[in-house]
Amino acid sequence: MKRMVCLILLTALLMPLFAQGGVEEKAVLDMSAPVTLTIWTHEDANRKVLEQELIAEFMEMNPNVTVDYQTYPSSKMRELLTVSFSANQGPDIFNQSQSVVRQFVIEGRVSALDPEWIGEASLDDVTGRYIPGALAAVEYDGDIHGLPLEYTNFCTYLNKNIFRDAGLDPEKDYPKTWEEVMEVSKKLVLREGEIITRRGYDFRYPSYTMQFLPMVEQLGGKLMSDDGKTAVVGDEAWLQFFTYMRDWGPEGYNLGGPTYLPPRKVFDNNNNEIAMSDSGLYQQGRMKKANPDFFNSDDWMVIPFPQFEDAVVETAGAIACHYYMVNGQIDTLNQMWAWKLVDFMLSHSADYLEQVNLVQPTYELFESDAFAALPFSDVFAADMKKGDLVYFAGNSSAVNDKLKGAVESAMLLGEDPATVLENFRKEIQILIDDE
Amino acid sequence: MKYIGIEKKKARWGYMFVAPAVLLFFMFSLYPMLNAFYNTFFNIKLLSLRAPKFVGLKNYIFVLNSPSFWNSMKATALFTLGAFIPLTIFSLIFGLIVTSRMRNQKAIQLLMYTPAVLSSVVAALIWMIIFDPRGIGNSIVNNILQTHGIDHRWLTDPVMLRVSTVTIYVWKYIGYFTIIFVTGIAKVPESTLEAATIAGASTMQTIRLIVLPLLKPTTLMVSIVTMLNCLKSFSTQYLFTQRGAPLEPLNVVTLNIYNTAMRDLNISRACVMSFLLFLVMMILTLSRMSSSERNVTEY
Repeated sequence: MKRMVCLILLTALLMPLFAQGGVEEKAVLDMSAPVTLTIWTHEDANRKVLEQELIAEFMEMNPNVTVDYQTYPSSKMRELLTVSFSANQGPDIFNQSQSVVRQFVIEGRVSALDPEWIGEASLDDVTGRYIPGALAAVEYDGDIHGLPLEYTNFCTYLNKNIFRDAGLDPEKDYPKTWEEVMEVSKKLVLREGEIITRRGYDFRYPSYTMQFLPMVEQLGGKLMSDDGKTAVVGDEAWLQFFTYMRDWGPEGYNLGGPTYLPPRKVFDNNNNEIAMSDSGLYQQGRMKKANPDFFNSDDWMVIPFPQFEDAVVETAGAIACHYYMVNGQIDTLNQMWAWKLVDFMLSHSADYLEQVNLVQPTYELFESDAFAALPFSDVFAADMKKGDLVYFAGNSSAVNDKLKGAVESAMLLGEDPATVLENFRKEIQILIDDE
Repeated sequence: MKYIGIEKKKARWGYMFVAPAVLLFFMFSLYPMLNAFYNTFFNIKLLSLRAPKFVGLKNYIFVLNSPSFWNSMKATALFTLGAFIPLTIFSLIFGLIVTSRMRNQKAIQLLMYTPAVLSSVVAALIWMIIFDPRGIGNSIVNNILQTHGIDHRWLTDPVMLRVSTVTIYVWKYIGYFTIIFVTGIAKVPESTLEAATIAGASTMQTIRLIVLPLLKPTTLMVSIVTMLNCLKSFSTQYLFTQRGAPLEPLNVVTLNIYNTAMRDLNISRACVMSFLLFLVMMILTLSRMSSSERNVTEY
């Protein structure tokens, strides 16, 4: 009996080793064969309506294709995808940001696009649709593994009334440098004792590599050396940045912090709670829905991403890109139909822009009248030219968390910037060595 | 035909009845645990399609040399000490208070148990609103201390963060453990209590010399369960860090395991941390049990 139990346990333990093989199979492509595709995407009420309409149209054009469209909270998507793909049970189509998709690309979990499936003669023709760098996170070994759904950079939304209330002229006094952001915020902030009741400006805290890393890069600092082997380059830049963040937080001038309500949500309410907040062009759609009176008023404007006074590199906020990708472990027929569906949806870039305020990085869209007609789209477009894609690598989520930890140490725990820098360097070096 | 005795026949039925439970335990508890331990010797990466390589004790060496792991052990130890001691003591006190009342006993138990029904995420969200700088946490404390406008930094200061998470945990589970004590107190023989009253014992003497000694098995069970639950605490810390609270003071071992597995995709190192946490839990449980076995009281 004991021997039997041991044998069963041993077999069960060794089973995963033999189950690691892929699920690849080649099928003869029968275009009329029935196909069911599952899409997992993050929740976005406006986008859901548009995409469900597009999917219905696609299914009408291709009656053999059935699509199961499922939405999940954006905070849960990475976890769901990781678990499902690890069990070889991933959805046929999914979307994620550049930082997350890179892991799926590197590990060979996603399908490489055959350009003929979407009616293009070559991959160059596919690349030629998009502005330079837009596909960088999904390019690997000469293949393309995803198509961009949205391309987002952050600029600063400014409430003119709050500026006027503080005796400032929004058109002239809006901050152009990070030093001015701090000085203007000191004038705009209202407190009851130590408790802030109105913020001048506050950062977009979860987006550390998107917003904070470019600040360091402006000062000449880098996350790692050009050969990718040494962590944290340009100590002076990093020290200046950590000092700035310490001054910003409760240990310094007490101008804001990550535990206050997210600025972009508070900004839309126009309840005299925050004067400036960073967000993408898509925020206009949300503002329009949440507070149409404010959206239609002349009481707000958008200003470019600030620069440090002693910046050595002119860099705007980094650009986040969400890609639609196809599961590389499903059979070829399903992969082909999945790519066709993705391409069909994304070919309606004007609809995504008009109905959801999502920008796809195509030449066609950037040169369109619809894009030019959006309020302050010129500000976003000008900053996009100065920014790069948000840092993406197999370890980008960990890097974002380490930078978060470092900023918190300086800002919330009031640690000495030099100590913060040394700890941060060690942590990033471990991640680099681990790759 | 081979003769089978009545005892053996009974035993067969016994095996059949326990088989489903044993099977489920093997499938969903023992196998995952053994598999996790086995995985600690490989370099398994979630999402990777490559066959994992055997790395011996490398993962253990990495984790045991990692400052992040020791910070997590410290965060877990502080949280466990902060939550487990008040939880055991106050649930015992509340249990005694509840059983001493004749009226509204059920209503009080129901009221105390209510937070335990809430999911940890909902509880943490409620308390995050309370602990917001403009929330009622600051208002109440400032009113009591007459310190108008002071931000007690419930969600940013390392000490206050630990106080906040412990407060939520104790609030959520005190009702549950109080009810366990109420059940334990109810098992104290009525005749023993009556004998004590006839002998002229005061209420305090009855509690100290009769009830508390007879409650030792319940106290032991409550203290072990609270300690194990505290060591496994995750949701509150996870939600706090998701909402902007600094990670370092809250990075308990379970949160570190989660991040190592789900963010870094390094399931083997996550398994090492799980195994080390299991060892700590096992050692603490055994030492707690052996210390109690030496002081058994019977009347």
